Amino acid sequence: MTAISADGHMPAPVRRWSRYKHPRSTIRFAVLIAVLAFLSWSIAFLNIDLYRIIGAFPRLWEILATRYFPPDIDYVLDDSFLHSVLRTIEMSLLGGFFGVVLAIPLAWMAARNITISRRIAYPLGRFAIMGSRSIHETIWTILFVTVLGFGMLAGTLALTVFCVGFAGKLFADELEAIDMGPVEALRSVGASNLQVFQYAVLPQIRVAFTGIAIYTWDVAFRAATVVGFFGGGGMGWYLKRTTQQLENTRVAAILLTIIVLVLLAELASGWLRHRIAKMR
Amino acid sequence: MVAAVGLQGAPYLSYVERKRRRRVNNWVIAACIAVVLGWCIWDTVMVDTDWARMGGALGIIGTLERFFWIDWGLVPSLIVPALETMMMATLGTLLGCVFSLPVAWFGAYNVTPNRYIFYPLGRFLMVLSRSIHEIIWALLFVGAVGLGALPGILAVAMRSVGFISKITAEAIENIDPKPVEAIRAVGGNQFQVMYYGILPQILPVVIGTIIFEWDINIRRSAIMGLVGAGGLGLVFFRQMAMFNYGGVTLVVLAVLVLIAIGEVISHYARKAVI
Repeated sequence: MTAISADGHMPAPVRRWSRYKHPRSTIRFAVLIAVLAFLSWSIAFLNIDLYRIIGAFPRLWEILATRYFPPDIDYVLDDSFLHSVLRTIEMSLLGGFFGVVLAIPLAWMAARNITISRRIAYPLGRFAIMGSRSIHETIWTILFVTVLGFGMLAGTLALTVFCVGFAGKLFADELEAIDMGPVEALRSVGASNLQVFQYAVLPQIRVAFTGIAIYTWDVAFRAATVVGFFGGGGMGWYLKRTTQQLENTRVAAILLTIIVLVLLAELASGWLRHRIAKMR
Repeated sequence: MVAAVGLQGAPYLSYVERKRRRRVNNWVIAACIAVVLGWCIWDTVMVDTDWARMGGALGIIGTLERFFWIDWGLVPSLIVPALETMMMATLGTLLGCVFSLPVAWFGAYNVTPNRYIFYPLGRFLMVLSRSIHEIIWALLFVGAVGLGALPGILAVAMRSVGFISKITAEAIENIDPKPVEAIRAVGGNQFQVMYYGILPQILPVVIGTIIFEWDINIRRSAIMGLVGAGGLGLVFFRQMAMFNYGGVTLVVLAVLVLIAIGEVISHYARKAVI
């Protein structure tokens, strides 16, 4: 095997280059195997037929083309439906506004660098933001509808909680990235927490916060279109009614309305955010 | 903060005058926002809410109280649905990645096969996927493939295509073109350019995005049961239908635990990738 060369030395062993050395490469391999095993186990456990996945899209297309096709536009132009669209917009505005207003102090608490106290306020803020983020907005809607009854109030509160989680996380991330120089300067001259926030933190994050607030409204509007599906008021209620009565052409018209409105909201928020970013 | 409305039209204004106009502008915008919000609050709280039916503060507290008697006996029957939810999220994310490959390819301006047909198509698919809520996707797929976990997986996948492919396309647009040119120069074909020139550059960003999306997909797949797909949402729906509010609270707690597990896993996964 190891032939000794003419001058009596062992030849250098053949080395093959690899990016990861022994323990890390084995760990990576094991993790990969575990993920693949979990995936195949899930396919077996959930009884997924790959042919059905491939067949789902032609079938969806066929259903859309035959049952949904001529969308019942007159239904969408009806007065009561247009009123529900207006209410959807109202809910998203209110939810977005109060969500953002509540998210600012929570984000202040949950930002590690400028929080009031790391022992109490920090975990509290983190937990509040994470908790409202973890639970999906439809579940919040159902819970609020159960307690407060059907209508826009429940939907608005659900959207508020959703926006607290959504905006709070982005705000906290933004706050943790600020320049600490002004904060320390103000602290060293004895400013209170509120003064530090007002004069050192707020000027740095004003533009970014405005952008995030507008984006939050955009996302809240998307959520508001289906909040009514579970009794929260707005156009989702019409979606539920027409779906359950199998009036598919009307469902198609409502879906088209939702897509168009969401596109418009996205364009508007993109335009506004662009203008605000230019003011930076 | 809110002074975005036109100041450009008037040149040669003194500093004081500009500042005064800006302040007036801010007040006008704030007043407009206040009026709109006030009207929204009035419509929500006064017109649309049936206060008599809510039963006053005592009624609300009475309803809330029923949520606090947590029904711990339900725990054993939650394990399989929780597992199903996790699996649905994972498979949905995987399928979403598969779907977003062509979409990202079409929607990245520098590698798209055709800038006039495929590029707008890719962009349109991204927007379409993001603008339709997962509940609506699930409704459509329940109609197409029937009840079960499959419509949930497909809905989660369709909803995640938009985000994954948008970030991927942006990553492709921002790559360093030199390796691509080098591989072209030594005679690499289209596939080799993609595999050796583009993929190594975008992989960390894309995998980070996929892990993030998986985290979000857990909370999405937890509600798929509400419209006929399986998982924790179905248990939630049943407990709600039985007015067993203690069980409802337990399901919500189970979702929180799942999300926490997902957050821990994704934290370590992201650390391993980056």
